[in-house]
Amino acid sequence: MPPASLGHGVGLRREHFERVLSAPTRIDWFEVISENFMADGGRPLDVLDRVRARYPVVLHGVSLSIGSTDPLNEPYLDRLAALARRTEPAWVSDHLCWAGFGGHFAHDLLPLPYTEEALAHVVSRVHRVQERLGRPIALENVSSYVTFRQSSLTEWEFLAEIARRSGCGILLDVNNIYVSSRNHGFDPRAYIEGIPKEAVWQFHLAGHSDKGTFLLDTHDHPVPDPVWELYEHALRRFGRVSALVEWDDHIPTFERLEEESLRARQIEARVLGDVLTPAEASR
Amino acid sequence: MNRASTLLGAESLFWELITAPEGVRPGLEALVRAGKADASAIESFLGGDERLPAAERLDIYANMYFFRLLDCLREDFPRLATALGEERFHNLATDYLLAHPSANPSLRYLGERLPAFFAGHALARQSACLADLTVLEWTRADLFDAADARALGRDDVAPLAGAHGGDLPLRTVPAFRLLRLEHDAPALWRELRDRDAQDSGSASQPDVTPAAGGPDSTGAGADAVAGAESAAATWGAGAANAARLGEEAGGRCQAGHVHDGRPAPPLPQQRRRKTAARVWRRGFTVFHRAIEDEEADLLELVAEGTVLSRVAQRLSAGRSQARATEAVGRLLQAWLDAGILAAEPLR
Repeated sequence: MPPASLGHGVGLRREHFERVLSAPTRIDWFEVISENFMADGGRPLDVLDRVRARYPVVLHGVSLSIGSTDPLNEPYLDRLAALARRTEPAWVSDHLCWAGFGGHFAHDLLPLPYTEEALAHVVSRVHRVQERLGRPIALENVSSYVTFRQSSLTEWEFLAEIARRSGCGILLDVNNIYVSSRNHGFDPRAYIEGIPKEAVWQFHLAGHSDKGTFLLDTHDHPVPDPVWELYEHALRRFGRVSALVEWDDHIPTFERLEEESLRARQIEARVLGDVLTPAEASR
Repeated sequence: MNRASTLLGAESLFWELITAPEGVRPGLEALVRAGKADASAIESFLGGDERLPAAERLDIYANMYFFRLLDCLREDFPRLATALGEERFHNLATDYLLAHPSANPSLRYLGERLPAFFAGHALARQSACLADLTVLEWTRADLFDAADARALGRDDVAPLAGAHGGDLPLRTVPAFRLLRLEHDAPALWRELRDRDAQDSGSASQPDVTPAAGGPDSTGAGADAVAGAESAAATWGAGAANAARLGEEAGGRCQAGHVHDGRPAPPLPQQRRRKTAARVWRRGFTVFHRAIEDEEADLLELVAEGTVLSRVAQRLSAGRSQARATEAVGRLLQAWLDAGILAAEPLR
């Protein structure tokens, strides 16, 4: 069973630390980039502790590198486990990608070939990570700019099968589906139809940039209309799922970010009816 | 040869091409020359179309790889970036990433080896003081999220000394470093900070303006950058910095060495002058301050763990009793006010 919806959240970025801590917000929960808080001390951890005292928090990583052929990074897993113990997040997520090779890190989300070999490789590593953390994790589909000729599965078949075999959840990034659909010429609705309903724990919503010959996943714009439309489609298929707006560059005021989250809330209410989320009900 | 038919082979080829210092195509040419790939390797393992051929798709990743890391280094070494100018800093990053690709899942450690790398780089021969500036900047970045510890305050002194037979145990907080530099990097840092402030049209904040010869309280006499501004580099967007792919079209957006034709700033020149500095974090603000050799020697003792009577003994050499007592009091007060003495580990 997917976790109950946390409602509508935003990614917590340091430009908004003061604002989030100094006054009430219209946000139900926050997602943080796990690696930015894997510190021994200082301001980031202090902020995280204080935000966590007021809101549900989800840990969202970028360096698990679940699809890499490098061994899983044990010190990284130690730090992630420690951060999860400290933060008690609603869940822990990362990306269905690889992020490094030969002991080195790209600090990017690199695409996988969708093959049986990669599937088995990722599933076995998800099992190990879940055992290590003592909890299931959620994996996010990434935006991509290349496809591998050797792929024998579609991306959504690959993602669905990983969730089915490993028991992990899916963080369905609606913007990434749209970006990749435009870059590779597939139907984004077919992607959504291909994802099992019970596996989706969370949605991501974000903006992107049109570079003429391709779309780039920049998180530096408002969520564009085609992504909102796809979000509506996802709501009809998956129902009420925790939704989060990401905005990472040309970061607006917190109030502008809140507006974007409120729009997601309004769309959800219009599509699914105006039912209070558990977070809303408890306020 | 189809080395990319396995997951390992695909990742290995992909990695070699996106991290090639001069870009994907030159990277492939180098692999072909080395007999590690054939000329059609990219097209035979990646899909592409007329709108966007496979190699150009791979270029997107190559640019994101380089520019994300370049931005991260700029965030951790802002004064070095100002001193070098855009082109030199870009080329230094190219050289550095080739020698030291990121070896940690967190971007926070990307710059860890830059001080040592810079010291052996051609730029250090042209401007030796920049090597010390690099050390200072990394130390500041490193302390930003060092372990927390309660600092010893004035009110703690008497009870703590009482509990230790009248003597006061001294040890520095974890977020403290003592630097021994060959140049006056703190002065250079301040000069570059002022240049940055001037360029951005903002005046230095009063609380970070050095008060020459003033008492060493939390901020006075020390250079600080508070909170977010001194944050260690962190992950931002999935690809936010790659947005420049479009904005800098026309050849400037490329990994590898660039020559943008714009005038570079003259490299700073300083006479060699041994300089000690202490760098510490108080609360969430990182400070640094140039200090006298005597204080540096004493802080070395304190960093290892000592007692106040030992510090007093060292200060009594060559001083009258009254002057020694006064010197001990002044130093202890400065350290207490700066927050560099640890309270909790001593209890």
